[in-house]
Amino acid sequence: MRPLRTAGIVVAGLRKRYGQTRALDGMSFTVRPALVTGFVGPNGAGKSTTMRVILGLAAVDEGTALVEGRPYRSLRHPLRHVGSLLDAAAPHPGRSARNHLLWLAHSQGLAAPRVDQVIEQVGLTPAAGRKVGGYSLGMRQRLGIAAALLGDPPIVMLDEPFNGMDPEGILWMRGFLRSLAAEGRAVLVSSHLMGELQGTADHLVVVGRGKAIADTGVAELIATASRNRVALRTTAVPDAARLLARAGATVASTGPDTITVAGLSPDRVVTLLNERAVPFSEVSAHRATLEDAYLELTRGAVEFRASTSAEVSR
Amino acid sequence: MRAAVHAEWTKVRTVAGPRWLLLGAIAATVALSTAVVSVMTCDAAGCGHDATRLSLTGVQFGQALVVILAVQVMSGEHGTGMIRATLAATPRRTTALAAKAVTLTGVVAAVGTVAVLGSLLAGRLILPGRGFTAAHGYPILSPADGPTLRATVGSILYLVLIALLSLGVATVVRDSATSTGVVLGLLYLVPVLAPVIHDPHWQRLLHRLGPMSAGLAVQATTDLRDLPIGPWTGLGVLAGWAGAALLAGALLLRRRDA
Amino acid sequence: MTAAPLRVLHAEWTKFRTVRGWVVGVVAAALMVVLVAVLAGVSSDQRGAPAVPIGRGGELVTDSFFFVHQPMTGDGGITVSVSALDVGIAPDLEPGTVPWAKAGLVIKDGTRPGSAYAAIMVTSGHGVRMQHDYTEDTAGLPGPVSTASPRWLRLERSGDAITGYDSTDGLRWTAVGTVHLDGLGPTAQAGLFVASPDAVQGPGTVPSVATAVFADLRTEGGRLTDHWTGDRVGPEPTGHPPTTSGSVAESDGRLTVTGTGDIAPAVRASLGTAGTIADVLTGTFPALITVIVLGTLFITTEYRDLIHVTLAASAGRSRVLAAKAIVLGGVTFTAGLAGTAIAIPLGEHLARQSGVHLFPITPSTQLRVVLGTAALLATAAVLALAVGTLFRRSAGAVTTVTIAVVLPYLLVAQIPFIPDVVTDWLTRVTPAAAFAVQQSVVPYHQVTSVYTPYNGYYPLAPWAGFAVLAGYAVVSLAAAAVVLRRRDA
Repeated sequence: MRPLRTAGIVVAGLRKRYGQTRALDGMSFTVRPALVTGFVGPNGAGKSTTMRVILGLAAVDEGTALVEGRPYRSLRHPLRHVGSLLDAAAPHPGRSARNHLLWLAHSQGLAAPRVDQVIEQVGLTPAAGRKVGGYSLGMRQRLGIAAALLGDPPIVMLDEPFNGMDPEGILWMRGFLRSLAAEGRAVLVSSHLMGELQGTADHLVVVGRGKAIADTGVAELIATASRNRVALRTTAVPDAARLLARAGATVASTGPDTITVAGLSPDRVVTLLNERAVPFSEVSAHRATLEDAYLELTRGAVEFRASTSAEVSR
Repeated sequence: MRAAVHAEWTKVRTVAGPRWLLLGAIAATVALSTAVVSVMTCDAAGCGHDATRLSLTGVQFGQALVVILAVQVMSGEHGTGMIRATLAATPRRTTALAAKAVTLTGVVAAVGTVAVLGSLLAGRLILPGRGFTAAHGYPILSPADGPTLRATVGSILYLVLIALLSLGVATVVRDSATSTGVVLGLLYLVPVLAPVIHDPHWQRLLHRLGPMSAGLAVQATTDLRDLPIGPWTGLGVLAGWAGAALLAGALLLRRRDA
Repeated sequence: MTAAPLRVLHAEWTKFRTVRGWVVGVVAAALMVVLVAVLAGVSSDQRGAPAVPIGRGGELVTDSFFFVHQPMTGDGGITVSVSALDVGIAPDLEPGTVPWAKAGLVIKDGTRPGSAYAAIMVTSGHGVRMQHDYTEDTAGLPGPVSTASPRWLRLERSGDAITGYDSTDGLRWTAVGTVHLDGLGPTAQAGLFVASPDAVQGPGTVPSVATAVFADLRTEGGRLTDHWTGDRVGPEPTGHPPTTSGSVAESDGRLTVTGTGDIAPAVRASLGTAGTIADVLTGTFPALITVIVLGTLFITTEYRDLIHVTLAASAGRSRVLAAKAIVLGGVTFTAGLAGTAIAIPLGEHLARQSGVHLFPITPSTQLRVVLGTAALLATAAVLALAVGTLFRRSAGAVTTVTIAVVLPYLLVAQIPFIPDVVTDWLTRVTPAAAFAVQQSVVPYHQVTSVYTPYNGYYPLAPWAGFAVLAGYAVVSLAAAAVVLRRRDA
């Protein structure tokens, strides 16, 4: 009798130290079938480490990472369960794409025709016989994706798949990720740029300092981030900023003549500006982008952040 | 395991590097052997040379290319990061290492057979013209002859064990330049250092323990009593080195993050 | 603002010193040289071995021969004729050729091996010679001796000056030379001697015994006892038939004297137990492999991903390569210098404590060995850098350079039976020629021996041998520069 299997990936309480550095500090989240789960966070937040832990490439001090309810290392033909694209797992430059996929196929007991299928699927057929050393970054990413699809796995995990892709490639990638989810697969996609995932991800796991700081649907996240924000257009940015900040708001400039105000209602903003005769042309409830929501969330979690000179509040 | 070996075999045959290295190993072995037997002479009965061993001198050169190949099989993957793809495909790490070892063994045994038999053929063709004749106590070299057969089979096994030693060291060390340096150091330093040790007991011990000096004892067919170590025992010492290196490699590969 | 080339140099230096493994590697290379010197010193124990005589210049000498002698006080002379000098070669004493078998007259400061002497002699293959204090040699009448063509020899002492004469008839004399034996006491031992050094056979040597027939022995002046004693100077030969340790017999006014040994500077083959500076510096080998690995890594790690950065960050690629070569060469040279400078005195001290004799070297030779070894390491590292640039593959580059430098050395220095042609070729043409910089033993024309790399004698002069390796490095570096400029990074 086959044991009952939990579909997708379940990561629970991962902790890992590299010397003094805490790479993972209680990382927990779930990747469910038929959804694209975005895995976002600043560089160094633990995304790649977590993915390597899921694939059994790195050990943890504590916690478990299970794919379909089992540790990765116990899988007999793991690529038939999880397909992955890792940033740092480059193929040998002297081997052709087809041969790279061929040895991977052989390691899973798969035959050559399957290799040609995935090559076709990612659109690499014309270049399949060429040495990988001569590939562009985008072509390499496609090869990596072909490798991930090789075992027709129910789970696909991609580490920074948009890296090095041209706009056309990014568009293709988004459609492609959607189609994987539509086929019922659990898809985990990491990125350090939230914008890349906008319109692609259904669910988001935001990480900072080695743990998930949000594990939520995209819609909810945007709603939370938009709350209590006012967008203001004015020709007197410094005056307006000084005035609103004194009234207790947090003010951030978003353009040469626009600022975002948090902590005050739109009515209160209008009243204050009128009292002091500060000119303004537009006041509206702010609609946050995914990027804003992400920045808000990770503000405290970013370890190495450049000083933001755009901050106007005093 | 079968799938992992199949994958490793596909890896070896789908890049040009191993092919050239293996051809190079054959060429280097046969070339040095031919050169050595072409310059040796024997002008009297019992001129003190071991004809079989002379014909197999090239193994000392050919092994260098085997070392490169074996180190590359592991370190090359660490260099590009492909090791992660390998271990993601074969997450049982001992199996992954074993698959590499099995593939190397097969490839090196096949190539070693060609190289060693080629060297022996060179000796068989050239030595009689250099005075190594039956009259001087040197029958024509033949692998059918007991000691020569031992030297032949032993030399092939020697090359295989050198490959496994290199694989083990590369698994421990990871970086390819350093691994190569360590292996070549292990091989060549004992013969270089031994004469410096004036104490004959220590010198003999060093010759018994050195992977190359002990392992190559298997090539001897004459004066076996004067050897620091017996032919099969010597090869056993090398097998010990290879086994220890692979074991250390396996333990570290299991423990370390990729 | 610093000039551009200096900036590149500075950048490469920073790159080198900030990788901990490389710094550890360089220090390890220096330590290996020292450690092996210590190992060589402490692993040897020859405290019970017979003493090796030491000549007046501090050199190790061979001083063993059969001596028919008596004390001679004050100035005086001694004359004799030699009508035969025959050599037998062990084990059966079959007649053979030993060109430097010698028989003649010697005035010696006592019978202690290593004491000062002056001698005039006939030799088997080099005519009449006047020799003194082991290393000095002057030619007299040419040609061999026979009953039909004997030679008369005379040795005269006047103070500390000793003059040798030769003659074909005992009537007309020619002075071969006058030498000064400083500090020769009033009473010296004077008389006849016969010696025959080991004969060279293939890669080794076998003992030989010479028999000379003397007549017309006369002494003039000086106070002599006129009582001749036959003695062997130096240790009894081993492996000879016992009768050949030396003898003297008289009949019809002829003295037939047999003897074996030599009065000459020691060479490696005649004094196998003694060590050389090159032995002490065997640690050069592990150090070589280490710097070869370093040299390779210094460029191949760039190929992993950094080379784009390096090449983009600086204008000329050849300039980057040159800067790397300078930094690497400088660092490895310094390490080699430190290692060798410590290893030599330390190894010498330990060897002496263990009773091992080392062939002595002059300060200038020592300086050459130290600088040469450091330069050898530095050049091998640069060669590895160049080969690494050409190959872009670490394992191949490390193996190629190691094999090119070490394998020829192993073949010539480890296998005594490799024919001379091959040894000669290997130590002239391959990078292993550079080991000549470590040669400290000197070949002597008056000693026939096995002067092969196996025994520490290289066919090329020290710096000429080094130039061979340097040539490889320069050519490879040039090729690397060309390739680097043409290739896409």
